[in-house]
Amino acid sequence: MTALLDGLLMVATFEVAVAILASAVYGMVIGALPGLTATMAIALLVPITFYLSPIAAVATIITSSAMAIFAGDIPGCLMRIPGTPASAAYTDEAYALTRKGQAELALGASLWFSAIGGIVGTVALMILAPALAEVALSFSTYEYFWLSLLGLMCATLVARSSPIKAIAAALLGLLVACVGIENPGGVPRFTFGSTDLLGGIEALPALIGVFAVSEVMRAVASAPPPPIPNRRLGSILGGQWALTKRYQKQMWRGNLIGILIGALPGAGADMAAWVAYATSKRFSQEREKFGTGHPEGLVESGAANNSALAGGWVPALLFGIPGDTITAIAIGVLYMKGLNPGPTLFTEKASSMYALYIVFLVANVLMIPLGIAMIRLSKNILRAPRSAAMPVILLLCAVGAFAIGNNLFAVVIVAAFGVIGFVMERNGYPVAAMVLGIVMGTMVEQNLVSSLIKSDGEVLPFFERPVASGLAALTITALLWPAGVWVLRRLRRAQAAI
Amino acid sequence: MHLSDRITGGFLVLLGALAFWGGSRLPGVPGQDVGPAVFPMVIGGGLVLCGALIALGIGRSFEAPEDDATEALPGLAGRLGRYGTLAALLPPALLLFYVVAVEPLGFLLTGAAMVLVATLALGASWRLAIGVAVCAPPVIHLVFYKLLRVPLPEGLLAAPW
Repeated sequence: MTALLDGLLMVATFEVAVAILASAVYGMVIGALPGLTATMAIALLVPITFYLSPIAAVATIITSSAMAIFAGDIPGCLMRIPGTPASAAYTDEAYALTRKGQAELALGASLWFSAIGGIVGTVALMILAPALAEVALSFSTYEYFWLSLLGLMCATLVARSSPIKAIAAALLGLLVACVGIENPGGVPRFTFGSTDLLGGIEALPALIGVFAVSEVMRAVASAPPPPIPNRRLGSILGGQWALTKRYQKQMWRGNLIGILIGALPGAGADMAAWVAYATSKRFSQEREKFGTGHPEGLVESGAANNSALAGGWVPALLFGIPGDTITAIAIGVLYMKGLNPGPTLFTEKASSMYALYIVFLVANVLMIPLGIAMIRLSKNILRAPRSAAMPVILLLCAVGAFAIGNNLFAVVIVAAFGVIGFVMERNGYPVAAMVLGIVMGTMVEQNLVSSLIKSDGEVLPFFERPVASGLAALTITALLWPAGVWVLRRLRRAQAAI
Repeated sequence: MHLSDRITGGFLVLLGALAFWGGSRLPGVPGQDVGPAVFPMVIGGGLVLCGALIALGIGRSFEAPEDDATEALPGLAGRLGRYGTLAALLPPALLLFYVVAVEPLGFLLTGAAMVLVATLALGASWRLAIGVAVCAPPVIHLVFYKLLRVPLPEGLLAAPW
């Protein structure tokens, strides 16, 4: 109980309140602008969090990511351009509703069910994380190895991309993580004699490059989005209570899918939205209405992508394994602020954990009034010329990367990873898988090498402990899943041909 | 910059082979079989395998079809016509310009130049471009230099704060 009170006191400071409010507005705006993703918002925010107190730093990340994931629905609904990838799953559905003249219903559903999803996800995080901490205490390097590998494999199961290309992208990230002297032998590895590379390629500049610079590059080489049509919006939350009652089952199912996929290492809000939308369609009684402006799928996937956000913090806090690209960045901040992830975090830093839960709840409640304001103002914000926003983002990339360590070499890394990210995206290689590879490389290697030393180079002990064998089975399933889907499709096509 | 799967797959095979070879030449830890060489070799092997599969076109059925943009491109990309994609190289080039120029010129001038060029390349009018270039760098400087105390170089033009 004292821990809870301490947590409350930690949140109830002027600094944290300002941090939450400012990052909420920031997250809303970045999320609403097409092409600027939630991950990019967080990557550009991190250099600033260095200068904040631990709770304020984590609060800015939590708040701005929640707001950005919701706000991504706004341009999706009004212009058929998803503001963030997590909204892509149901953009067509939301836009169809707008065309039927029900834009306020679609936007309201996004807002309302996002907030509910976020709150349910937080409650799940509060219950799941301490319970799993008990289990996590008994983990050895074998379990950690499989868990981090599972995270990488899940990241490769992204929709609409070749699984082999995704695995190649993850391996590329792991290779990047090999650079430097931080390896089992302490020898300079792949540094090519450069002193700048001795410390390795830091994840944060790479992230800024991949998620922000490559987005600016894409903007330079593509046509601007069409101007937003003028539309009067009615009451935003008006029809939501009726929707909540009517689609209660779908809402809870969406929340559950979001939490589970979020808690799975490596898979985040984007995947949760796709899976929830597909599930909703599969089990719907009015399946033929999907795609024509039917709110059912919107309810389920809108709830899923926000509950996944909180779920993503479960593996991040417990194991230091990112649940998605956003927590991949957040883990770095946690380390920096002395909140090292691990099962003992829940006993030693219990008050900080309560503070974190409270921030989650505050952010999701705050989302409703701010979201309404944002929807009302969206016409003006979406009209901001891309040609003015992108150059400022580019300058922020340079300054932000420099601010991480007052080192100009970081800006070179940002530029290099901008090009890498751009070329990869153009050729169907998912960049999120590479980013997780970079973030988790050191961890995968350490656990692999320690396990191999313990087992004297044998492979069998990797499968001997019960939890390790379960995780290994999951990892191998994730690896073979695409092959199974391919065979199934072949069989179905063959049957159809007969 | 859309390359065929043959090219990207082939590149991955080459990169993987180099990683494997480079990894295998790393010195080991005395008295231990497992050292810094294992991980790069495993990854290198994996990359060679993946690259070969990609070059053979396996797994392509999972990819979403390409939507080729045929709309007219604004600004620099439009001027370049067929080579419009090359305009994408401008932002990283501007970042490298920042690295070289920020010490001698100072943050305000370098930032203004960067923003001006990028805004024009995105097809904005001169008025908007100059407006953004004049306003944005001082605001960013104020936040990072004054509030966050990042030592941004002064160069030729120092900020009044």
